[in-house]
Amino acid sequence: MSVGLPWGFLALAAALPIVAAYFLRRRQRPRVVSALFLWRTPSQRAQAGPRWERFSREASLALELLAVACAALFLADVRCGAQVQQRHVVAVVDGSLSMAATVNGTPLSDAVKARVAALARAQGATQLTVVESGPRPTVVAGPQAEVGRALAQLESWSPLQPAHDVAPALLMARELAGARQRVWLFTDGPLPPRVGVPPEVQVESVGQKLPNLAFVSAQRRDVGKTAQVTVRVLNASDAAREVPVRFAAPGLPPQMQTVSLRAGATAVVRVGLSAAEGATVGPVEATLPDDALPADSAVTLLPSPDAVVNVAVLEGLSPPAFAALKRFLAVAPGVRVQSPAALSFGPPASTARVRLGAGEPLKGYVGPFFQSKAHPLLEDVDLSGVVWAAGPNPPGRPLATAGEAVLVSEEDDGTVHLNVDLGRSAVARTGAWPVLLGNVLRRARFEAPGLPRRHLMLGEDVPVTTTAGATWRLEGPQGRKRPILAVGSLTLPPLEVPGRWRLLKDGEEVDALAVLPIDPRESDLRDRGPYEVKAQAEERVAGLFGERPRPWWPLLALLVLLALDFWVTAREARA
Amino acid sequence: MSGPRLDRQAVERAAALVSLRLPRGPHRGRTGEVRAHSVGASMELHDFRLYQPGDDVRHLDWNAAARTGELVLRVRQEEVSPRVEVVLDTSASMSVSPEKSARSREVALLLCLAAQRAGHEASLFTVGGRGRVVRGHDAGTALEALALDGKEPFPEALRRAPALRPCGLRVWVSDLLFESDVAGLARRLAQGARGLAVVQVLDEEDLEPSGGAGARLTDAESQESLERILTRGVLDDYQRRLRAHLALWDEGLRTVRATLMRVSAAQGVDALARRELVPLWEAA
Repeated sequence: MSVGLPWGFLALAAALPIVAAYFLRRRQRPRVVSALFLWRTPSQRAQAGPRWERFSREASLALELLAVACAALFLADVRCGAQVQQRHVVAVVDGSLSMAATVNGTPLSDAVKARVAALARAQGATQLTVVESGPRPTVVAGPQAEVGRALAQLESWSPLQPAHDVAPALLMARELAGARQRVWLFTDGPLPPRVGVPPEVQVESVGQKLPNLAFVSAQRRDVGKTAQVTVRVLNASDAAREVPVRFAAPGLPPQMQTVSLRAGATAVVRVGLSAAEGATVGPVEATLPDDALPADSAVTLLPSPDAVVNVAVLEGLSPPAFAALKRFLAVAPGVRVQSPAALSFGPPASTARVRLGAGEPLKGYVGPFFQSKAHPLLEDVDLSGVVWAAGPNPPGRPLATAGEAVLVSEEDDGTVHLNVDLGRSAVARTGAWPVLLGNVLRRARFEAPGLPRRHLMLGEDVPVTTTAGATWRLEGPQGRKRPILAVGSLTLPPLEVPGRWRLLKDGEEVDALAVLPIDPRESDLRDRGPYEVKAQAEERVAGLFGERPRPWWPLLALLVLLALDFWVTAREARA
Repeated sequence: MSGPRLDRQAVERAAALVSLRLPRGPHRGRTGEVRAHSVGASMELHDFRLYQPGDDVRHLDWNAAARTGELVLRVRQEEVSPRVEVVLDTSASMSVSPEKSARSREVALLLCLAAQRAGHEASLFTVGGRGRVVRGHDAGTALEALALDGKEPFPEALRRAPALRPCGLRVWVSDLLFESDVAGLARRLAQGARGLAVVQVLDEEDLEPSGGAGARLTDAESQESLERILTRGVLDDYQRRLRAHLALWDEGLRTVRATLMRVSAAQGVDALARRELVPLWEAA
């Protein structure tokens, strides 16, 4: 049972004039009579001494009030033991970053909230579901929440998603709404042509064409006490602009650089911020002047020193191999020969992570070489022109082969076999050698627990490395948490909101990264504006006489009570 | 209640034209012209008995003594001036209209004046409110100042009123519109009286109430209220109950041989004296 429908309350209000009329009726024209007993109808019940005699005098009023209650129950669509007649409205709100743009100081997201509230009122909704589109659509209000509660939940919504396809959100909304029920989509501009709007969906845009300045990329690299910051600025407007870019770090004077940008052009701005001796540069904030979309006009870049990898070279390597390794390790950045080591090089019979060398009989190969180019270890490794002397095939999955010979293989535990005799090969004297070792080193660096990247753009996957025996999770702004259940080098789905995210190991912070509010597709607001698509399918309306008609028993009770009231009134008149 | 006042001149004119008729039989009272129930010195023979010492020897019947040889005393009836009591119901229902109030008091005064003119000893008993007894010659003044506003039923007011005395004629002026043990009340009023007459004064609204609209009916005495839409059916039901009530009184008063005269307050006292109240008067 519900009296949430306004007609039910209005019907209850009818009790007031009835009660008032009842008391008005009592104030009849006064007349003094000699014998009142001659006017009184003898009541057999009264002579028998009934207890409820007084109630019978007010029977008419009681019947009329009961009739009003029945009318209220009918209009309020009372259902005992059945589901109340509901009007469920499902709306999809575009969660992309561009919806945070402001028009005359009001964010478009606020306009969308107002439109959703107006829609709920206009449709007479009793339940409301709001879905936010994004790479992964989410329900921000509901599902099927009471309208007031859903609107309250929607109040805390802020659009910060990267550019995405709204189709998954529309699919979710249609499933939540039910078959043939209308779904409303609120966005800020025309949908891409590839997006097919289902016939039940009605699209409305609240956006406007606006000029905007934005960062479209940002990087930071810390070398010693100096932070090198590189940003790319976009002038997403129809006029050339002189754009001042401000860089600020705690404890350092801010730096300002101005770039001239043609309409729609981008430019790179690079600065170096140096800390005092023995100190490091803290988070660097790069900002642009205020514009239509404040979210993409400020980025905070965290300190990003190169991670140092401890490397060990085991005994037993051939002299050419040892020499080649020493040469590489001497110039490779972020490498320290120290125990315990995350990466070890050794002969084929050792327990090293990378086993370098070839047994007898040797055989030389000049090609053709077949490589698994998608494997990170062979990324950008070019073996053309290389003479490769290889021995018997090593164990593991082949990554590079020449004829029947396996040149590079990898075991399931990550052990890498480089089946090469550097004394008889020209590999160490080609560019392929440092690239191959660089890939090995990069993978070792990525396999260190923590976050290999400090800065991610909106919608980018998150690389993270975890170890067994501990609880790992990411904790971001607004108390958002994402547990990490797997172990090893992982790639997580994009993080939901921009800001600083902390990597926690057993509750303690071990690393952090920043998700930058950067998405060039969302920063260009020149293609936004009015847009509307009418729903093409007729909505199935479950109304007063729809598939679930209102129960008629309150109406029948109302008629019976009115008839009783008429009979009681007539009897009193006769008496 | 404002309205017609007691018209003493009309009452006196009516009283001059009538002569109160007493019930047959001996009466009690002060010495007068009417044969009394007790022995006395009138010329009417009452009884014979044997002489006893102390009797007046002038009343010996010498003829009887000669015939019987016994001293026989001739006992004669006393001639008295009989009492007439007018009992006026002063409950509030007697004044629901100015006409009813005036007519009730005029009838009572007419009876007192008629009794006085006939040489009777008239007394006015007001029953209801502060009941009291007024001598006949003061009745006019008392009735002019009398307020008919008693709030208790007549039987209860009668219990608190001054005691009624044996009398020749008792006339009760009331509207009889109250609920009571009719037979018991009639016996009580007839007790000690040679004759009982009842003058029932009813207002036009008592007899033919007007209808047509809703009304909040309030009892003149108990102040109880009742709301009614005065439709034809409601008025018919009232008439039916009124007739049954009147019939109840007819029957109750008949058992004590009382004379009931039903008068309308709309008529003047002189008209009443000529028509409805005729049973009280001696034939012309």
